[in-house]
Amino acid sequence: MIETYLPLIIMLVFGFGIAVVFMLLSEWLGARRFTPGKVSTYESGMPPRGTARERFSVKFYMIAVSFIVFDVEVVFMYPWAVQLGTLGISAFIAMMFFIAILFAGYFWELRKGGLDWD
Amino acid sequence: MFNIFGIGPLTLITFLPLIGLLIILAIPAGKDEKARELSTNLYRWLTVGFTFLQLVIAIVIYMNFNNALPGINDANTMQFVEKTPWIQLHGLPIFGDLKIDYYVGIDGISAPMILLTAIVCFVATFASWSIKKAVKGFFMMYLLLDIGMMGVFISLDFFLFYVFWELMLLPMYFLIGIWGGPRKEYAAIKFFIYTLFGSVFMLLVMIGLWFTSGTFNLLDLANPANIRPDQIFSGFGTTWRLWAFVGLFVGFAIKVPTVPFHTWLPDAHVEAPTPISVILAGVLLKMGTYGMLRIAWPIFPEAVKYFQEWIALIGMVSIVYGALCALGQHKVGKRDLKKLIAYSSVSHMGYVMLGIASMTSAGVTGAIFQMFNHGTITAMLFMIVGVIYDRAHTRSMDDFGGLANKMPVYTGMMAISFFAAIGLPGMSGFVSEALVFLGAFATYPLYTVISGLGIVLGAAYMLWALQRVFFGKLPEKWSGPWDPSGKLYKHDDINGIELTALIPLAVVVIFLGIFPTYITNMMTESVNQLIHFVTVNGQFTGL
Amino acid sequence: MNQEVFLAMPVFLISAFAVLIVVLDAVSGKNKTINFAFGIFSLLATAGAAIYTLTLQVPKLVNPADYHDIFTITKNTMVFSSYSAYFDILFSLAGILTMLASRSFISKGYHEYKEYYSIIILAVAGMVYISHANNLLMLFIGIELMSIMFYILSGYFRQRIESVESALKYFLLGSFASGFLLYGMALVYGATSSLELNVIAQFIAKNNFNATYLTFGIALLLIGLSFKIAAFPFHQWAPDVYQGAPTTVTAFMSTAGKAAAIFSFIIIAKALMPSFTNNAMRLVSTETMQMILAVLSAATMLIGNITAISQKNIKRMLAYSSVAHAGYMLMGVVANNQLGYDGIIFYATSYLFMQIGAFIVLSVLENKDSSNINLDNFTGLRKSNPYLAALMAIFMFSLAGLPPFAGFFGKYYLFLAAIQSGYTWLTIVAVISSVISVYFYIGLIVYMFFKDSDNPIAKAELKLSSVSLFVCLIGVLLFGFFPSLLMNLYAIIK
Repeated sequence: MIETYLPLIIMLVFGFGIAVVFMLLSEWLGARRFTPGKVSTYESGMPPRGTARERFSVKFYMIAVSFIVFDVEVVFMYPWAVQLGTLGISAFIAMMFFIAILFAGYFWELRKGGLDWD
Repeated sequence: MFNIFGIGPLTLITFLPLIGLLIILAIPAGKDEKARELSTNLYRWLTVGFTFLQLVIAIVIYMNFNNALPGINDANTMQFVEKTPWIQLHGLPIFGDLKIDYYVGIDGISAPMILLTAIVCFVATFASWSIKKAVKGFFMMYLLLDIGMMGVFISLDFFLFYVFWELMLLPMYFLIGIWGGPRKEYAAIKFFIYTLFGSVFMLLVMIGLWFTSGTFNLLDLANPANIRPDQIFSGFGTTWRLWAFVGLFVGFAIKVPTVPFHTWLPDAHVEAPTPISVILAGVLLKMGTYGMLRIAWPIFPEAVKYFQEWIALIGMVSIVYGALCALGQHKVGKRDLKKLIAYSSVSHMGYVMLGIASMTSAGVTGAIFQMFNHGTITAMLFMIVGVIYDRAHTRSMDDFGGLANKMPVYTGMMAISFFAAIGLPGMSGFVSEALVFLGAFATYPLYTVISGLGIVLGAAYMLWALQRVFFGKLPEKWSGPWDPSGKLYKHDDINGIELTALIPLAVVVIFLGIFPTYITNMMTESVNQLIHFVTVNGQFTGL
Repeated sequence: MNQEVFLAMPVFLISAFAVLIVVLDAVSGKNKTINFAFGIFSLLATAGAAIYTLTLQVPKLVNPADYHDIFTITKNTMVFSSYSAYFDILFSLAGILTMLASRSFISKGYHEYKEYYSIIILAVAGMVYISHANNLLMLFIGIELMSIMFYILSGYFRQRIESVESALKYFLLGSFASGFLLYGMALVYGATSSLELNVIAQFIAKNNFNATYLTFGIALLLIGLSFKIAAFPFHQWAPDVYQGAPTTVTAFMSTAGKAAAIFSFIIIAKALMPSFTNNAMRLVSTETMQMILAVLSAATMLIGNITAISQKNIKRMLAYSSVAHAGYMLMGVVANNQLGYDGIIFYATSYLFMQIGAFIVLSVLENKDSSNINLDNFTGLRKSNPYLAALMAIFMFSLAGLPPFAGFFGKYYLFLAAIQSGYTWLTIVAVISSVISVYFYIGLIVYMFFKDSDNPIAKAELKLSSVSLFVCLIGVLLFGFFPSLLMNLYAIIK
């Protein structure tokens, strides 16, 4: 019974072990310099304290929306990739259409300067 | 029959004004003073020309009309019939096909109305000379109105009838609203809403009838054999049928107008320009009573029997109340001559209601004849008011007096029309009123006697008005010429154009007073047929 | 080749064009005309494809329960009927009319961006998906695609506070309604274990469903869709949104958008209101649903028309009247018979012509900041713009339902249908409310024609709008005088 789970247990132990070893090594061996920017809380590049009703650049949204779109695309593609063998050629064509449509949108965003930071 | 390029005389007489309308639309109004004057005259004379052509066709129809054919519910004896499919829907569930035909034809009821419409439209054009504002639009609307009115009188298909009925509403609304008097917006909207309110109930009844009989053909609708079982208007004397009759009746009664629904009339008449008042009183009011005889009576005969006495009562109240209201215009401070005539219309249309409620041969003949006579006489009256209003810019009887010396010819014309309106023997109004009383007395003696009061009151308010305007002392302000510059009116008296409009009507009124059979013979057969049909079918009722 | 390819051609074409116009927008640089022309072309092509499918053997909108999945490419997510094809034509036509009128209007009011045309094409694509939907998800995608484009379009004049307000209001309430819609779909799926409308209809026909879930699902669907067509009591957003949005956009939203929403009402009702009595659950029975819809319809037309009377802003007045017109169209769904659905088709068509026409007249007359579209401003329009005033009068008469204009026959068929299915009281309410509506429609005519003004609106430049106006006028008159042309269209084709 327990033998069947043995590889799993070994993997868990190794996984934890490596993580802990690396952390300890960097703690012991690494040099350390504290700067104000480095010790502050990280919040997507924005100051974490102060009024929330502050105006900030729409560029963040452009990037964020693009990120979400392609993120979701990848989520769609995982199950598709796993089941592609059984779904056959029509699923392949359908996904190509999907990618083409997304690409058209991406192309438009690119040309309109939606991804230019300046 | 005689057709021109396959177009029958009825289509021709109805849609002829459309050509005139399009020609007027194509002629630009002109930029400078001179071109404008030229185009204005062109519009006027084009309209005169087309309405004259219409009159010619109407007379040709009159000449070729066969008095022996009854029509009413018999498709074979309808005359000048044209029938072409108009709207056809195939394969509807349950009912199969929906068919609406362009089905026109006339019988003894509609033929006098065609003649009347043609005459009134022709003469009212001459009264339009005083229109100075947006002349192009005026005559286009005028001709559109003409189409609508003719269409109503020739339709033998309920749907077609309804479309013409509503079509006529639009130009009328604009004609009152744009070219009317000071309170034109109020009058126009009141007229529109009143009439529309009546006609939507007509629409509902029409849909119900289609479900019941599966047709819009008025002759087929009247035939009890076409009623299918288990539909909304199946069976005779059911509550739904009585309500349907009431709906139809109210729709038509608003147009007549009979007493509870008459309040739009004084406003509309007073505010409308002269030619439109003439048409409103001369033709439009007749549509209500015509619709009753053509649609409500044959389709709901048992309801006619059921409500007969009430309708007679409404007629009587209209006669007396209208006359009293007209008399009330003699009160100091509100002596409006045009309003007086408007109320006299309510009174005179009451005779028609009384006549058609009597369901006797004399009564119904008298009623239809009265419709014709009232059309010609009231047209004269309104034109006469228009003549004096154009000169003095007031309609108040207080401002006048002693005009007889200043305008002798005008006084003569006014006397003819006023006496005709009173119903003096020798004038056409006398014959029709006498016939109505004769017929109605047989059925409703009490109502008839009370209605006789209307004649007395009529004489009172008419003669009083005559006296106030023409006799006595001429006010100081009218002692000079009407128009000091002399541009508009060369003489003090009535001018040629106005006489052209008045004389034909006066001739008709006097001629028919002496030889009424020229009109009454047309309708005798149809009236008998209608009465027979309604009486026989009215027996089916279980009430 | 497979016939299905041809049947689905309108859907394929509009989707392809919607993607292509975005790409074209990216590469065309400063040239705006090419996007405009491409937009018009793609709508024409879609309409042409839809007309072609009408000549093929397509069934009318049959009872979904009898509908079998014979289509391999679209995998039963779509239905191809003459109704869908007809609505495709209608949506394309609305798009064309709007685009023609928009060109000068948006540059007058703000700035002409090429995206405007892309968004209209995308919205039409959404509507086309709705008209072909056989799957609840497909329906939802169509509704959302259309709605999101409307949110964007209504905020197009982004420097104007009203426009932004209208976009925000529409977006917030619209997404809320979408939530209802989606939840309703989920419950219907839970009750019948299918998303495909024909399968659902079969389940319902066999009494094979969870009644509680289905009841709630249908109720939520009705709420969501009522919001989309702006039916009482979910109509509150409509006046604000329609008033704030650019006028041409309002024209598009209130006609094509409404037609699409009412079409989704039809397909839902077709599947979920089977033409038999179902005793399993009182609330799912056809009679109950008909009654609920009838009350909604009556309230919608009364509220819309009565509120419109007191409006001083013409755009807002037309917005309220548009609410009332949704009520009239609901009568066809209430009737739930062939006549009713045919009536909706006719009404949607005539409504499209007259409402777009009226809004386009407004759009050419209004000034840079749309401050001159109150009733007072239209005083004496007869003198300064006689032809526009006459056109407006015709559209008003048609909206009021007077013969011989198209609006009358639309109402007429719906009345016929409602009486046939026994809803005489609803017809009487409809008649009364249309008499009420006459008051404000002809009230506008009073201002335009009967009153004189010292400073009427200056003579307007029409440009391309004149084409749209001409088409609208022809539509209103042609279908007014010869309604059978339209009504027999699919009968002849079949």
